[in-house]
Amino acid sequence: MVAGGVTWRDRLAVVIGLATLFIVWQAATMLFAVPDYILPRPLDIAWAIVERREQIWRALLFTLAETGAGFAIGALIGIGLAVCLVLIPPCEAVVMPLAVAINAVPSVAFVPLALIWFGLGMGSKIAMAVLAIAFIVLLNALSGLKKPEQGHIDLMRSFGAGRFGILWRLRLPAAMPSIVTGLRVGLGRSTIAVIVAEMLGAYDGIGQIVYQSTAQVDYLSVWAAVLTAMLGSLALYGCLVAIDRKLIWWR
Amino acid sequence: MKRDALLRSPLPMLVVLALAWWLVVPALKIEARYLPPLGAVIADARSVWPDLLAGFWRTLLETVIGFFIGAALGIAAGIGFAQWRWLERGVFPIFVALQSVPVIAFGAIVVIWFGNTLASKVVIALYLAFFPIAVNTLRGLQEADPQRMALMRSFGASSRQMFLKLSLPTALPTIMIGLKIGLSLALAGAIVGEWFGDTVGLGVMLLQALYFEQVPRLWVLILTCGGLGTLLYGGAGLIERRFIWWRAE
Amino acid sequence: MDSSMATPSIAADHRPAHLQLINVWKRFGPPERQTVAVRNVDLAIQPGEFVTLIGPSGCGKSTLFNMIAGLIAPDDDGSILLSNKVQQDYGLLGKVAFMPQRDLLFPWRTVIDNATLPLEIEGVSRKAARARAEALFPEFGLEGFETHYPHQLSGGMRQRVALMRTFLFERDLVLLDEPFGALDALTRSMMQRWLLDVWAKHRRTVLFITHDIDEAIFLGDKVVVMTARPGTIKCAERINLPRPRAASVTTTGEFIDIKRRLLAVVEEESLKTFGGATLA
Repeated sequence: MVAGGVTWRDRLAVVIGLATLFIVWQAATMLFAVPDYILPRPLDIAWAIVERREQIWRALLFTLAETGAGFAIGALIGIGLAVCLVLIPPCEAVVMPLAVAINAVPSVAFVPLALIWFGLGMGSKIAMAVLAIAFIVLLNALSGLKKPEQGHIDLMRSFGAGRFGILWRLRLPAAMPSIVTGLRVGLGRSTIAVIVAEMLGAYDGIGQIVYQSTAQVDYLSVWAAVLTAMLGSLALYGCLVAIDRKLIWWR
Repeated sequence: MKRDALLRSPLPMLVVLALAWWLVVPALKIEARYLPPLGAVIADARSVWPDLLAGFWRTLLETVIGFFIGAALGIAAGIGFAQWRWLERGVFPIFVALQSVPVIAFGAIVVIWFGNTLASKVVIALYLAFFPIAVNTLRGLQEADPQRMALMRSFGASSRQMFLKLSLPTALPTIMIGLKIGLSLALAGAIVGEWFGDTVGLGVMLLQALYFEQVPRLWVLILTCGGLGTLLYGGAGLIERRFIWWRAE
Repeated sequence: MDSSMATPSIAADHRPAHLQLINVWKRFGPPERQTVAVRNVDLAIQPGEFVTLIGPSGCGKSTLFNMIAGLIAPDDDGSILLSNKVQQDYGLLGKVAFMPQRDLLFPWRTVIDNATLPLEIEGVSRKAARARAEALFPEFGLEGFETHYPHQLSGGMRQRVALMRTFLFERDLVLLDEPFGALDALTRSMMQRWLLDVWAKHRRTVLFITHDIDEAIFLGDKVVVMTARPGTIKCAERINLPRPRAASVTTTGEFIDIKRRLLAVVEEESLKTFGGATLA
């Protein structure tokens, strides 16, 4: 998917796919006169986004800022922990069971706790994003850092490289593909975590719009917010795919 | 080897964590607002035992039903994608992208469609489980290597035989990964789905505990959700080890 | 069981050895279920000498090599001397230019960055390292491929990059573990001649493992034969074929004679492992 070029035919196919979806949706809702509360027409949603652009744009920035901050912190924690575990293997026996235990709980179950601990502001959302991404990055980074086989390690040792030399020149580059995969998966999860947390309590953000609009029976706004969130996270996803290509130029 | 086996079995881990909780909280005088003492959490769990049990079953039911329907649809969609190249080109990238999208926000809309019923949670769980399963099914089916395909063809295998004897077994480990992701998403979906309005379920109880700021109750629920998650993943892992002993290459 | 073993005939040379192995052993596993990989190896290599080592597969050649590279420690009975100095366990790390069987190039590094890896580890600046590597590119037949990635190269070229990496790690003792094992016959014979040219120019001491008798005779000043596991040195034969050697040397009577003698020895050892596996 990531490897190899995307041809114009692939792009065209996606555009056709999207266009078909749009047309069928629009036509069906018009033809059967589907009421807005069941399924609004795509053009109406687009118009709603334009109409509420200031509110939605602010909310989107808010959500993206929370996601970004949590993503960065969580990724650093995950990679940092993985590096520590590889440098000091005995730590694994302490850290991994704890991490596995935390991960066994669906992350949404921590949302109320995060709200009580960190308040309704950005802190609780960032904490949720960190929680959502740190574990997956830790796991991916750890398996990536352990990927180099003994032969490569022996070669480095024969050149006189120490633990840090092997980490820097062999393990980290070798781990890049799986770290990036972890980041990609983690990005999706942390966006979801942030929006879910916003739905339960926040001053602003996409999740808060969804929640309030649902309460006010303003379904057009719900759809507008959800679609904006989709576009926002698609943009983020696109960035990561691009970074992926830049970082992993080999293979 | 022995240490590995010990590390993997959850029991000693649970005991150590419980012990640590029991000892550390009073020792460091951690505020109950952040982490209540283990005793308080256990006492609270006892006081809501019937509700907790009912919530556990309800959420389990929503998750399992949603997961199975989502898995069936997802695998069917994956096979469809593998079968029809044009479908894959046009729709599959949208699917992959949708995986990283906060689909959970659609929860509100689903509740509008289905009302505060079991069905609405099932649909949310199903919807969340569907995408990773469909995506992994297609990826798995595409993994069969051309040389083995050629070998099968040289034996005169029909496309049905190719699928049953080569493509599907090759794909199963990857599909299993998708199923496990789908399972955890289905659980999350069921919990969040309950937030949009219901009276029974772990998600409902989480919401109530938040409104009344009952921190011990929250911990009871977090542990229960963890237990439910472990039960589900454990079951999936068991099935995987029993039936899919070969691994993705 | 080893009474029939010929004693190594390498004591004749009295110059100080570059590398000397005295009674080197390596045993694996707990005492009750012990496997002896390498047994009682005595070996001396003179400065600038090209020594080839042959033996049946699984005879402990690689274990011996890993000990000389300093990757694993020999058992306490014996010792390894480099330039007459006894080496501590793992003390040889960073003192010997070691090339394992596979090229083990790093896929994320360009050809030149792969070659300069050991220099980087030594702390040579990137610029200086590259300058030194660039000078070697024509000689290694890699001109114009500096910024390619390993996956863009053929097997022979990858092997040359790995060899260049080994040579850039400027140590007087070079260990090559079946470097041409994975190459096709034509590429291999070209690489052999090329290696001899490079060696003639740089005059490093080389210990070269192979399972190909022709290759061993063609390249070496001395061919050392190892026995079946537990590996020890069965005999050593000095090769006095004139240098520089052309491909045609392999068809001379002298070459054939040496080959016949060595073949008999190697065959005997190979049969031991083979027979042990099938008739036991």
